[in-house]
Amino acid sequence: MKKNYLLLKRYGVALLSCAFLSSALFAAEETAPGVKEASEEEFTPAKEVVEVKFVQMDRPYHLDVDSLQGFFKDAKAVTVPLQKQDKAFPNGGGSVSSAEVKAIHDGLTIYFKISWSDSTKNARAIAVQEFRDAVALMFPLGAVEITPAEHFSPRMGDREKPINLWHWKADWEADLLVKGELEDVEVQYPNMHDDFNFNPYSAYYHRELITSIEVLSGGRAANNLLSQPGRGRVVEDLNAEGFGTLTTQAHQDVNGCSKYEDGVWTVIMYRSLITVDPHDVQLVPGGTTYFNMAVWNGGEQDRNGQKNISTQWHPATLERVAWQ
Amino acid sequence: MTLVHNWHLGRRMEYPYFESRPKRQFAAIFNTNRCIACQTCTMACKSAWSYNKGQEHMWWNNVETKPYGGYPQSWDIKTLKLIDNGENTWYTDEKDEKTSPYGVYEGDTIFEAASKKNINQWAVGYIPEDKEWRSPNIGEDVAKSNKADEYSSLPEHSRWFFYIQRLCNHCTYPGCLAACPRKAIYKRKEDGIVLIDQKRCRGYRKCVEQCPYKKPMYRGLTRVSEKCIACYPRVEGKDPITKGRPMETRCMAACVGQIRLQGFLDDNPKNPVTWLIRHDKLALPLYPQFGTEPNIYYIPPRWAPRPYLRQMFGPGVDEAIDKFMVPSRERLAVMSLFRMAQAIIFEYKIEEGPKVFETTIHGKKFEMFNDTVIGYGEDGQEIVRTTIEEPVYIRDPKHYNSI
Ligand code: SF4
Ligand code: SF4
Repeated sequence: MKKNYLLLKRYGVALLSCAFLSSALFAAEETAPGVKEASEEEFTPAKEVVEVKFVQMDRPYHLDVDSLQGFFKDAKAVTVPLQKQDKAFPNGGGSVSSAEVKAIHDGLTIYFKISWSDSTKNARAIAVQEFRDAVALMFPLGAVEITPAEHFSPRMGDREKPINLWHWKADWEADLLVKGELEDVEVQYPNMHDDFNFNPYSAYYHRELITSIEVLSGGRAANNLLSQPGRGRVVEDLNAEGFGTLTTQAHQDVNGCSKYEDGVWTVIMYRSLITVDPHDVQLVPGGTTYFNMAVWNGGEQDRNGQKNISTQWHPATLERVAWQ
Repeated sequence: MTLVHNWHLGRRMEYPYFESRPKRQFAAIFNTNRCIACQTCTMACKSAWSYNKGQEHMWWNNVETKPYGGYPQSWDIKTLKLIDNGENTWYTDEKDEKTSPYGVYEGDTIFEAASKKNINQWAVGYIPEDKEWRSPNIGEDVAKSNKADEYSSLPEHSRWFFYIQRLCNHCTYPGCLAACPRKAIYKRKEDGIVLIDQKRCRGYRKCVEQCPYKKPMYRGLTRVSEKCIACYPRVEGKDPITKGRPMETRCMAACVGQIRLQGFLDDNPKNPVTWLIRHDKLALPLYPQFGTEPNIYYIPPRWAPRPYLRQMFGPGVDEAIDKFMVPSRERLAVMSLFRMAQAIIFEYKIEEGPKVFETTIHGKKFEMFNDTVIGYGEDGQEIVRTTIEEPVYIRDPKHYNSI
């Protein structure tokens, strides 16, 4: 050890230039530090096609899993294998090995139904050690044919190869159900001592303090969608152009619903086939799109790159509309 | 990983980004010998930045008692264990004033431990659970050893404790910044202050996990993380009190024990902060072995056992304590600037005065001169003038009873 440092000191310049040389070589090979190169198979789409069945439906008043479930009965289920994310730092995941996907559309709206087993329901992210269960679908943005030659990364897209991402979060579902549409800290810590009374009906209500919540809530003041009460949805609409670039869209178009029963999550995400937002994927009956997906298991502390991913694009063909 | 130079460790080390030092680095010096743990700093910060909902557990500035205290509980022991490879020693035979003033650290940093352990993230770390952020003063004033026959006599007490004042270190190689997969954390080029972008943060808590000092904190209300912002509006001179001059932060300015001096580490040898850290080496980094090059520096407590202090502040401890106990003329003068002004002092000048006192401390001769120290602001204007001997005012007998 000691010798090494002496060497480093004496021959520092030579060593340093070696280091530069090797980092230059790395730079030519690698996309970014902490990111491994994707293998060729990853650029080839999966064989099995998700047929997005056209279903003529009377849209139920409540768009919940129970009332939507029945419409999927004739849709073919495709099992998507999932694995640990092992290409970009931080690596992680591996606790969920597959998810089942079914999809339908009614000429106006597309519905993806995804189910996977997860023995723990994690629908809150208020305590520092708590992480949410979540699932995401991603689509290449624009008219893209996924072929090996196209080299379109199924991971998070790439520079100049943007993707549109729909991210369902278990805690957003819980947020929707409470007054003010954001589960507050009292939900997690009912007896938390605080010096200020936030109850507007108490004798000590302090208007200035209450309103200063916005000012001194960095996330809210900065308009971070994660921090906002009253989002009115459980799915976040995002874009990305590679690892670390995930960005919330200014215009949110996706919604969904979910059910957790017997250790299985069933999540339905839906969106209009066509939107006016240029950052959204557009889905045309009779056409083909590609999607990929990831599942986060909050109980295993999954978040960001620590997730269960599919390493290939999956084709999805939208059946033509045939009104009867 | 790239190789960057960390002068605390006296060597190059692995870090995910290239070396990019700010124009001047936000830094502070805490004299642990003087702290009375009144927590005025803690409350100054709390009442400015973290009194709001969802921040109940947050103390961006806190004062804890060593060896048992910790906020979050046992943060330092847990992180030390994570980097322990059995030979976390220092090689101190060869030093270089500029590049390795304390010698060379031979163990692993949080970054090197992560790459050795192949855990596929940038640094080792852990997320303290909510219960660990509670009772921030657990272990307060609990002394090491309570044996009846252990009494205290210098140079090292056998029954001891001391206070350590902590906030974000605005590290040169921040663990939090390295950890963030979204680059939501950035280090400002103009002053080296490290901030979490509240819009880009998605609450992944990788920074909470990989900051070895455990200073980013998750806020359940907003689902994103927050940390000490180095009172950047004050440091930028936005507070009207100093009329546009850079101003010391809330926690520094409020210090009752006058233990704190905040400013910038720069290339000016007559900058009091730079002089005490780089030239005099009186103030030392906290757990330099973590490898982040932290920028809050400490004058170590002179009564605590040296092995414990060496683990905490590195191998510069013995020299720093010797210097503190028998201060040189210049050192005494510069130390007199602590808490003399709210505006940040960028340069000092000493005007020599007469000798007023002479004694022997631990066998070493000590002479005191009543010099005058002048502190200048960024604009070169004088902002403070003080003398070594504090002026004494004698109260008129007719006011003896009044306050
Ligand atoms: S002390 Fe922690 S939060 Fe502050 S800059 Fe260093 S690593 Fe980041
Ligand atoms: S510098 Fe400011 S924000 Fe940071 S701990 Fe001190 S008072 Fe708090």
